[in-house]
Amino acid sequence: MSARTVYFLAAVAVFLVSLIAVALYYYRRSRQTSKKSWEQLLGRLTFIDRDSVARIALDYADESGQRRTDDAASELEPAQISKLIGGLKGLEILERNSAVLIDLAFYVQQWHPEAVVLAEDLRLTAREIEWHVERLRGAAKTGNLETSFASYAQPAIAKYYLMTQRVLALYERGELPMLPDLQQAI
Amino acid sequence: MHLTGIDLLFWAGSFLGHIVLLSVLLIRRRTREFPIFTTLISANIVRTIVLFLIQHYGTKADYFYTYWSLAILDVLLQLGVVYEMTSRIFRPLGAWASDIKRSLLVWIAGSIALAAGLTWLASPPTRLWIQTAMIRGSFFSAALLSELFVGMIVLSVTAGLPWKTHVARISQGLGIYSLSSVLIEVGRTYFSLKRETRAYDELSHARIAVYLVCLVFWIIMLWREPPQPREMTEQMRRQLLELQRSVGHQLQSLRSRRE
Repeated sequence: MSARTVYFLAAVAVFLVSLIAVALYYYRRSRQTSKKSWEQLLGRLTFIDRDSVARIALDYADESGQRRTDDAASELEPAQISKLIGGLKGLEILERNSAVLIDLAFYVQQWHPEAVVLAEDLRLTAREIEWHVERLRGAAKTGNLETSFASYAQPAIAKYYLMTQRVLALYERGELPMLPDLQQAI
Repeated sequence: MHLTGIDLLFWAGSFLGHIVLLSVLLIRRRTREFPIFTTLISANIVRTIVLFLIQHYGTKADYFYTYWSLAILDVLLQLGVVYEMTSRIFRPLGAWASDIKRSLLVWIAGSIALAAGLTWLASPPTRLWIQTAMIRGSFFSAALLSELFVGMIVLSVTAGLPWKTHVARISQGLGIYSLSSVLIEVGRTYFSLKRETRAYDELSHARIAVYLVCLVFWIIMLWREPPQPREMTEQMRRQLLELQRSVGHQLQSLRSRRE
Protein backbone atom coordinates (compact mmCIF):
# COMPACT_ATOMS: atom_id res chain seq x y z
CA MET A 1 0.00 0.00 0.00
CA SER A 2 1.47 3.38 -1.02
CA ALA A 3 2.03 6.20 1.47
CA ARG A 4 -0.53 8.31 -0.37
CA THR A 5 -3.19 5.63 0.05
CA VAL A 6 -2.42 5.46 3.78
CA TYR A 7 -2.84 9.25 4.06
CA PHE A 8 -6.05 9.05 2.07
CA LEU A 9 -7.53 6.33 4.27
CA ALA A 10 -6.50 8.14 7.46
CA ALA A 11 -7.90 11.46 6.23
CA VAL A 12 -11.21 9.87 5.21
CA ALA A 13 -11.49 8.08 8.56
CA VAL A 14 -11.03 11.38 10.44
CA PHE A 15 -13.42 13.09 8.02
CA LEU A 16 -16.17 10.49 8.45
CA VAL A 17 -15.88 10.21 12.23
CA SER A 18 -15.93 14.02 12.60
CA LEU A 19 -18.87 14.41 10.25
CA ILE A 20 -20.94 11.74 12.01
CA ALA A 21 -20.03 13.09 15.48
CA VAL A 22 -20.98 16.66 14.51
CA ALA A 23 -24.25 15.50 12.88
CA LEU A 24 -25.22 13.42 15.92
CA TYR A 25 -24.34 16.19 18.39
CA TYR A 26 -26.42 18.84 16.60
CA TYR A 27 -29.26 16.43 15.81
CA ARG A 28 -29.47 15.54 19.51
CA ARG A 29 -29.41 19.24 20.43
CA SER A 30 -32.29 19.99 18.10
CA ARG A 31 -34.28 17.03 19.49
CA GLN A 32 -33.76 18.32 23.04
CA THR A 33 -35.06 21.77 22.08
CA SER A 34 -38.04 20.22 20.26
CA LYS A 35 -39.04 18.23 23.34
CA LYS A 36 -39.21 21.25 25.68
CA SER A 37 -42.47 23.03 26.36
CA TRP A 38 -43.03 26.77 26.02
CA GLU A 39 -43.10 27.16 29.82
CA GLN A 40 -39.89 25.18 30.26
CA LEU A 41 -38.14 27.41 27.76
CA LEU A 42 -39.42 30.62 29.35
CA GLY A 43 -38.28 29.30 32.71
CA ARG A 44 -34.71 29.07 31.42
CA LEU A 45 -34.39 32.85 31.17
CA THR A 46 -31.90 33.96 33.81
CA PHE A 47 -32.12 37.25 35.57
CA ILE A 48 -29.11 39.36 36.41
CA ASP A 49 -28.97 41.33 39.71
CA ARG A 50 -32.05 43.53 39.46
CA ASP A 51 -30.73 46.63 41.25
CA SER A 52 -27.46 46.73 39.36
CA VAL A 53 -29.19 46.22 36.06
CA ALA A 54 -31.68 48.96 36.89
CA ARG A 55 -28.89 51.35 37.84
CA ILE A 56 -26.97 50.75 34.62
CA ALA A 57 -30.08 50.81 32.48
CA LEU A 58 -31.60 53.97 33.93
CA ASP A 59 -28.28 55.76 33.63
CA TYR A 60 -28.55 55.25 29.90
CA ALA A 61 -32.27 55.11 29.04
CA ASP A 62 -35.61 56.00 30.57
CA GLU A 63 -38.28 53.51 31.63
CA SER A 64 -39.70 53.34 28.10
CA GLY A 65 -36.31 52.39 26.66
CA GLN A 66 -35.63 55.76 25.00
CA ARG A 67 -32.06 56.99 25.31
CA ARG A 68 -31.66 59.77 27.87
CA THR A 69 -30.33 63.08 26.61
CA ASP A 70 -30.38 65.10 29.85
CA ASP A 71 -27.22 66.29 31.61
CA ALA A 72 -27.34 63.53 34.22
CA ALA A 73 -27.33 60.77 31.60
CA SER A 74 -24.42 58.34 31.09
CA GLU A 75 -22.62 59.25 34.30
CA LEU A 76 -21.44 55.72 35.06
CA GLU A 77 -17.86 54.93 34.16
CA PRO A 78 -17.11 51.77 32.14
CA ALA A 79 -15.32 50.25 35.15
CA GLN A 80 -18.41 50.82 37.33
CA ILE A 81 -20.68 49.26 34.69
CA SER A 82 -18.40 46.26 34.41
CA LYS A 83 -18.37 45.78 38.18
CA LEU A 84 -22.12 46.20 38.53
CA ILE A 85 -22.99 43.72 35.81
CA GLY A 86 -20.54 41.15 37.09
CA GLY A 87 -18.00 41.46 34.30
CA LEU A 88 -17.69 38.54 31.98
CA LYS A 89 -20.08 36.38 34.03
CA GLY A 90 -22.83 38.96 33.59
CA LEU A 91 -22.21 38.93 29.86
CA GLU A 92 -22.42 35.16 29.79
CA ILE A 93 -25.89 35.38 31.30
CA LEU A 94 -26.82 37.90 28.62
CA GLU A 95 -25.58 35.45 26.03
CA ARG A 96 -27.47 32.53 27.60
CA ASN A 97 -30.67 34.55 27.57
CA SER A 98 -30.23 35.23 23.87
CA ALA A 99 -29.88 31.47 23.31
CA VAL A 100 -33.14 30.92 25.20
CA LEU A 101 -34.88 33.49 22.99
CA ILE A 102 -33.61 31.66 19.91
CA ASP A 103 -35.02 28.42 21.32
CA LEU A 104 -38.35 30.14 21.95
CA ALA A 105 -38.42 31.32 18.34
CA PHE A 106 -37.56 27.77 17.22
CA TYR A 107 -40.45 26.41 19.24
CA VAL A 108 -42.93 28.87 17.77
CA GLN A 109 -41.76 28.30 14.19
CA GLN A 110 -42.00 24.55 14.69
CA TRP A 111 -45.42 24.33 16.28
CA HIS A 112 -47.22 27.56 15.45
CA PRO A 113 -46.61 28.40 11.79
CA GLU A 114 -49.26 31.13 11.94
CA ALA A 115 -46.88 33.16 14.14
CA VAL A 116 -43.81 32.61 11.95
CA VAL A 117 -43.35 36.33 11.18
CA LEU A 118 -43.24 37.26 14.84
CA ALA A 119 -41.00 34.32 15.74
CA GLU A 120 -38.58 35.10 12.92
CA ASP A 121 -38.40 38.70 14.11
CA LEU A 122 -37.60 37.54 17.63
CA ARG A 123 -35.04 35.02 16.38
CA LEU A 124 -33.20 37.56 14.20
CA THR A 125 -33.14 40.09 17.02
CA ALA A 126 -31.80 37.56 19.52
CA ARG A 127 -29.21 36.36 17.00
CA GLU A 128 -27.95 39.90 16.53
CA ILE A 129 -27.75 40.46 20.29
CA GLU A 130 -25.81 37.21 20.54
CA TRP A 131 -23.43 38.58 17.93
CA HIS A 132 -22.89 41.81 19.87
CA VAL A 133 -22.25 39.90 23.08
CA GLU A 134 -19.76 37.70 21.27
CA ARG A 135 -17.85 40.87 20.30
CA LEU A 136 -17.75 41.85 23.97
CA ARG A 137 -16.48 38.41 24.91
CA GLY A 138 -13.82 38.81 22.25
CA ALA A 139 -12.85 42.13 23.78
CA ALA A 140 -12.64 40.42 27.17
CA LYS A 141 -10.18 37.91 25.79
CA THR A 142 -7.90 40.67 24.50
CA GLY A 143 -8.16 42.61 27.78
CA ASN A 144 -10.29 45.43 26.30
CA LEU A 145 -13.51 44.57 28.07
CA GLU A 146 -13.84 47.77 30.08
CA THR A 147 -13.31 49.98 27.03
CA SER A 148 -15.84 47.97 25.06
CA PHE A 149 -18.34 48.14 27.90
CA ALA A 150 -18.69 51.85 27.21
CA SER A 151 -19.60 51.20 23.58
CA TYR A 152 -21.63 48.02 23.65
CA ALA A 153 -22.70 46.81 27.04
CA GLN A 154 -24.71 49.63 28.58
CA PRO A 155 -27.34 49.80 25.82
CA ALA A 156 -27.63 46.01 25.90
CA ILE A 157 -28.11 46.02 29.65
CA ALA A 158 -30.66 48.83 29.43
CA LYS A 159 -32.74 46.78 27.06
CA TYR A 160 -32.33 43.62 29.08
CA TYR A 161 -33.66 45.59 32.00
CA LEU A 162 -36.73 46.45 29.96
CA MET A 163 -37.11 42.84 28.89
CA THR A 164 -36.88 41.47 32.42
CA GLN A 165 -39.40 44.06 33.60
CA ARG A 166 -41.84 42.90 30.97
CA VAL A 167 -41.30 39.19 31.60
CA LEU A 168 -41.64 39.79 35.34
CA ALA A 169 -44.88 41.64 34.72
CA LEU A 170 -46.16 38.56 32.88
CA TYR A 171 -45.29 36.39 35.87
CA GLU A 172 -46.85 38.83 38.32
CA ARG A 173 -50.08 38.93 36.34
CA GLY A 174 -50.24 35.21 37.03
CA GLU A 175 -49.91 34.16 33.40
CA LEU A 176 -47.02 31.86 34.25
CA PRO A 177 -47.09 29.34 37.09
CA MET A 178 -43.46 29.63 38.27
CA LEU A 179 -43.70 32.94 40.14
CA PRO A 180 -42.24 31.76 43.50
CA ASP A 181 -39.16 30.27 41.80
CA LEU A 182 -38.69 33.36 39.72
CA GLN A 183 -38.97 35.72 42.67
CA GLN A 184 -36.28 33.69 44.42
CA ALA A 185 -34.07 33.79 41.37
CA ILE A 186 -34.18 37.55 41.03
CA MET B 1 -22.45 -7.00 -20.57
CA HIS B 2 -23.59 -9.93 -18.47
CA LEU B 3 -26.12 -9.25 -15.72
CA THR B 4 -26.34 -11.55 -12.70
CA GLY B 5 -29.51 -12.40 -10.80
CA ILE B 6 -28.72 -9.87 -8.10
CA ASP B 7 -28.12 -7.15 -10.73
CA LEU B 8 -31.57 -7.77 -12.16
CA LEU B 9 -33.12 -7.85 -8.70
CA PHE B 10 -31.61 -4.46 -7.85
CA TRP B 11 -32.72 -3.00 -11.17
CA ALA B 12 -36.26 -4.21 -10.65
CA GLY B 13 -36.28 -3.10 -7.00
CA SER B 14 -34.98 0.34 -7.85
CA PHE B 15 -37.45 0.79 -10.71
CA LEU B 16 -40.40 -0.34 -8.62
CA GLY B 17 -39.30 1.73 -5.61
CA HIS B 18 -39.06 4.90 -7.71
CA ILE B 19 -42.46 4.26 -9.30
CA VAL B 20 -44.07 3.82 -5.86
CA LEU B 21 -42.32 6.92 -4.49
CA LEU B 22 -43.39 9.04 -7.46
CA SER B 23 -46.96 7.80 -6.97
CA VAL B 24 -46.80 8.78 -3.30
CA LEU B 25 -45.54 12.26 -4.22
CA LEU B 26 -48.38 12.66 -6.71
CA ILE B 27 -51.18 11.13 -4.61
CA ARG B 28 -50.20 13.06 -1.45
CA ARG B 29 -49.66 16.24 -3.51
CA ARG B 30 -46.06 16.74 -2.41
CA THR B 31 -44.83 17.57 -5.93
CA ARG B 32 -45.54 21.27 -5.62
CA GLU B 33 -43.69 21.44 -2.31
CA PHE B 34 -40.68 19.46 -3.59
CA PRO B 35 -40.39 19.96 -7.36
CA ILE B 36 -36.63 19.23 -7.58
CA PHE B 37 -36.92 16.09 -5.45
CA THR B 38 -39.80 14.94 -7.70
CA THR B 39 -37.60 15.61 -10.75
CA LEU B 40 -34.80 13.54 -9.21
CA ILE B 41 -37.13 10.60 -8.66
CA SER B 42 -38.62 10.92 -12.17
CA ALA B 43 -35.12 11.16 -13.70
CA ASN B 44 -34.15 7.95 -11.91
CA ILE B 45 -37.13 6.14 -13.44
CA VAL B 46 -36.15 7.36 -16.92
CA ARG B 47 -32.52 6.42 -16.22
CA THR B 48 -33.43 2.85 -15.26
CA ILE B 49 -35.51 2.40 -18.43
CA VAL B 50 -32.89 3.97 -20.73
CA LEU B 51 -30.01 1.96 -19.28
CA PHE B 52 -32.03 -1.25 -19.44
CA LEU B 53 -32.80 -0.69 -23.13
CA ILE B 54 -29.20 0.25 -23.97
CA GLN B 55 -27.94 -2.76 -22.09
CA HIS B 56 -30.12 -4.96 -24.28
CA TYR B 57 -29.85 -3.23 -27.65
CA GLY B 58 -26.81 -0.91 -27.49
CA THR B 59 -23.05 -1.35 -27.46
CA LYS B 60 -20.78 -1.39 -24.43
CA ALA B 61 -19.55 2.10 -25.32
CA ASP B 62 -23.13 3.42 -25.61
CA TYR B 63 -23.86 2.03 -22.17
CA PHE B 64 -20.70 3.50 -20.64
CA TYR B 65 -21.24 7.04 -21.93
CA THR B 66 -24.99 7.04 -21.19
CA TYR B 67 -24.39 5.68 -17.69
CA TRP B 68 -21.88 8.35 -16.77
CA SER B 69 -23.78 11.20 -18.43
CA LEU B 70 -26.86 10.24 -16.44
CA ALA B 71 -24.75 9.84 -13.28
CA ILE B 72 -23.61 13.47 -13.67
CA LEU B 73 -27.24 14.52 -14.10
CA ASP B 74 -28.10 12.55 -10.96
CA VAL B 75 -25.43 14.36 -8.91
CA LEU B 76 -26.62 17.74 -10.24
CA LEU B 77 -30.18 16.89 -9.25
CA GLN B 78 -29.04 15.76 -5.80
CA LEU B 79 -27.32 19.12 -5.38
CA GLY B 80 -30.60 20.66 -6.51
CA VAL B 81 -32.39 18.75 -3.75
CA VAL B 82 -29.85 20.12 -1.24
CA TYR B 83 -30.75 23.60 -2.50
CA GLU B 84 -34.45 22.82 -2.23
CA MET B 85 -34.16 21.59 1.36
CA THR B 86 -31.86 24.49 2.31
CA SER B 87 -34.31 27.01 0.93
CA ARG B 88 -37.17 25.39 2.87
CA ILE B 89 -35.21 25.71 6.12
CA PHE B 90 -33.37 29.00 5.73
CA ARG B 91 -36.09 31.07 4.03
CA PRO B 92 -38.82 31.03 6.68
CA LEU B 93 -40.38 34.23 5.32
CA GLY B 94 -39.64 33.65 1.64
CA ALA B 95 -36.23 35.37 1.62
CA TRP B 96 -32.92 34.01 2.86
CA ALA B 97 -32.54 34.72 6.58
CA SER B 98 -30.06 37.58 6.87
CA ASP B 99 -28.08 36.00 9.71
CA ILE B 100 -27.40 32.82 7.77
CA LYS B 101 -26.28 33.95 4.30
CA ARG B 102 -22.60 34.39 5.12
CA SER B 103 -22.34 31.15 7.12
CA LEU B 104 -24.00 29.25 4.26
CA LEU B 105 -21.55 30.58 1.69
CA VAL B 106 -18.59 29.81 3.96
CA TRP B 107 -19.92 26.29 4.52
CA ILE B 108 -20.43 25.65 0.79
CA ALA B 109 -16.95 26.94 -0.10
CA GLY B 110 -15.37 24.97 2.77
CA SER B 111 -17.23 21.79 1.77
CA ILE B 112 -16.06 22.04 -1.86
CA ALA B 113 -12.46 22.68 -0.76
CA LEU B 114 -12.45 19.76 1.71
CA ALA B 115 -14.08 17.34 -0.73
CA ALA B 116 -11.61 18.42 -3.43
CA GLY B 117 -8.67 17.96 -1.04
CA LEU B 118 -9.74 14.44 -0.09
CA THR B 119 -10.40 13.56 -3.74
CA TRP B 120 -6.93 14.80 -4.67
CA LEU B 121 -5.46 12.44 -2.06
CA ALA B 122 -7.26 9.43 -3.57
CA SER B 123 -5.12 7.45 -5.99
CA PRO B 124 -7.17 4.49 -7.22
CA PRO B 125 -5.12 1.85 -9.06
CA THR B 126 -6.76 1.71 -12.50
CA ARG B 127 -5.80 0.88 -16.06
CA LEU B 128 -7.41 3.86 -17.79
CA TRP B 129 -7.52 7.55 -16.84
CA ILE B 130 -11.27 7.58 -17.35
CA GLN B 131 -11.68 4.94 -14.63
CA THR B 132 -9.71 7.17 -12.25
CA ALA B 133 -11.92 10.11 -13.18
CA MET B 134 -15.07 8.01 -12.59
CA ILE B 135 -13.97 6.80 -9.17
CA ARG B 136 -12.71 10.21 -8.07
CA GLY B 137 -15.86 11.91 -9.36
CA SER B 138 -18.11 9.54 -7.40
CA PHE B 139 -16.06 10.03 -4.25
CA PHE B 140 -16.08 13.83 -4.62
CA SER B 141 -19.87 14.01 -5.03
CA ALA B 142 -20.49 11.68 -2.05
CA ALA B 143 -18.12 13.65 0.21
CA LEU B 144 -19.56 17.01 -0.89
CA LEU B 145 -23.18 15.96 -0.38
CA SER B 146 -22.40 14.55 3.08
CA GLU B 147 -20.73 17.78 4.15
CA LEU B 148 -23.60 19.89 2.83
CA PHE B 149 -26.20 17.85 4.73
CA VAL B 150 -24.25 17.94 7.98
CA GLY B 151 -23.79 21.69 7.43
CA MET B 152 -27.54 22.10 7.08
CA ILE B 153 -28.05 20.43 10.46
CA VAL B 154 -25.36 22.54 12.16
CA LEU B 155 -26.53 25.86 10.74
CA SER B 156 -30.21 25.25 11.39
CA VAL B 157 -29.59 24.28 15.03
CA THR B 158 -27.20 27.21 15.61
CA ALA B 159 -29.60 29.69 14.07
CA GLY B 160 -32.68 28.18 15.73
CA LEU B 161 -34.52 27.35 12.51
CA PRO B 162 -36.62 24.18 12.62
CA TRP B 163 -37.03 21.58 9.86
CA LYS B 164 -40.51 20.80 8.66
CA THR B 165 -41.28 17.06 8.92
CA HIS B 166 -40.96 16.11 5.24
CA VAL B 167 -37.92 18.32 4.69
CA ALA B 168 -36.25 16.53 7.61
CA ARG B 169 -37.14 13.07 6.26
CA ILE B 170 -35.94 13.74 2.70
CA SER B 171 -32.72 15.26 4.07
CA GLN B 172 -32.14 12.39 6.50
CA GLY B 173 -32.52 9.84 3.71
CA LEU B 174 -30.21 11.64 1.32
CA GLY B 175 -27.75 12.48 4.13
CA ILE B 176 -27.46 8.87 5.30
CA TYR B 177 -27.13 7.68 1.70
CA SER B 178 -24.34 10.23 1.07
CA LEU B 179 -22.45 9.26 4.23
CA SER B 180 -22.72 5.55 3.37
CA SER B 181 -21.60 6.37 -0.17
CA VAL B 182 -18.42 7.98 1.13
CA LEU B 183 -17.56 4.74 2.90
CA ILE B 184 -18.44 2.65 -0.17
CA GLU B 185 -16.48 4.97 -2.48
CA VAL B 186 -13.44 4.63 -0.22
CA GLY B 187 -13.70 0.87 -0.68
CA ARG B 188 -14.09 1.27 -4.43
CA THR B 189 -11.09 3.60 -4.51
CA TYR B 190 -9.01 1.12 -2.53
CA PHE B 191 -9.95 -2.04 -4.46
CA SER B 192 -10.46 -0.25 -7.72
CA LEU B 193 -10.51 -1.80 -11.21
CA LYS B 194 -6.95 -2.87 -11.84
CA ARG B 195 -6.86 -6.62 -11.46
CA GLU B 196 -10.43 -7.75 -11.18
CA THR B 197 -13.79 -6.10 -10.67
CA ARG B 198 -15.43 -8.36 -8.09
CA ALA B 199 -14.89 -6.18 -5.01
CA TYR B 200 -15.85 -3.10 -7.05
CA ASP B 201 -19.10 -4.79 -8.11
CA GLU B 202 -19.91 -5.95 -4.57
CA LEU B 203 -19.48 -2.41 -3.29
CA SER B 204 -21.70 -1.11 -6.08
CA HIS B 205 -24.36 -3.56 -4.91
CA ALA B 206 -23.94 -2.32 -1.34
CA ARG B 207 -24.48 1.26 -2.53
CA ILE B 208 -27.68 0.31 -4.37
CA ALA B 209 -28.90 -1.66 -1.32
CA VAL B 210 -28.46 1.41 0.92
CA TYR B 211 -30.30 3.51 -1.67
CA LEU B 212 -33.18 1.03 -1.74
CA VAL B 213 -33.51 1.29 2.04
CA CYS B 214 -33.65 5.08 1.66
CA LEU B 215 -36.35 4.72 -1.00
CA VAL B 216 -38.49 2.63 1.34
CA PHE B 217 -37.91 5.20 4.12
CA TRP B 218 -39.04 8.06 1.84
CA ILE B 219 -42.09 6.12 0.65
CA ILE B 220 -43.28 5.56 4.24
CA MET B 221 -42.40 9.03 5.52
CA LEU B 222 -43.81 10.97 2.59
CA TRP B 223 -47.01 8.94 2.68
CA ARG B 224 -47.60 10.00 6.28
CA GLU B 225 -49.03 13.43 6.98
CA PRO B 226 -46.93 15.81 9.12
CA PRO B 227 -48.07 16.45 12.71
CA GLN B 228 -50.78 19.07 12.98
CA PRO B 229 -49.67 22.54 14.15
CA ARG B 230 -50.61 23.30 17.75
CA GLU B 231 -53.04 25.99 18.66
CA MET B 232 -51.40 29.11 20.03
CA THR B 233 -53.04 30.35 23.20
CA GLU B 234 -53.78 34.02 23.67
CA GLN B 235 -51.47 34.05 26.68
CA MET B 236 -48.60 32.64 24.63
CA ARG B 237 -49.16 35.13 21.84
CA ARG B 238 -49.04 37.97 24.37
CA GLN B 239 -45.84 36.64 25.91
CA LEU B 240 -44.25 36.36 22.50
CA LEU B 241 -45.23 39.92 21.58
CA GLU B 242 -43.87 41.24 24.88
CA LEU B 243 -40.56 39.45 24.39
CA GLN B 244 -40.24 40.54 20.80
CA ARG B 245 -40.96 44.16 21.62
CA SER B 246 -38.42 44.31 24.44
CA VAL B 247 -35.72 42.51 22.49
CA GLY B 248 -36.37 44.76 19.50
CA HIS B 249 -35.77 47.84 21.64
CA GLN B 250 -32.63 46.27 22.97
CA LEU B 251 -31.27 45.65 19.51
CA GLN B 252 -32.15 49.14 18.29
CA SER B 253 -30.18 50.52 21.15
CA LEU B 254 -27.20 48.32 20.41
CA ARG B 255 -27.29 49.32 16.75
CA SER B 256 -27.52 53.03 17.48
CA ARG B 257 -24.68 52.78 19.96
CA ARG B 258 -22.46 51.12 17.36
CA GLU B 259 -23.17 53.85 14.82
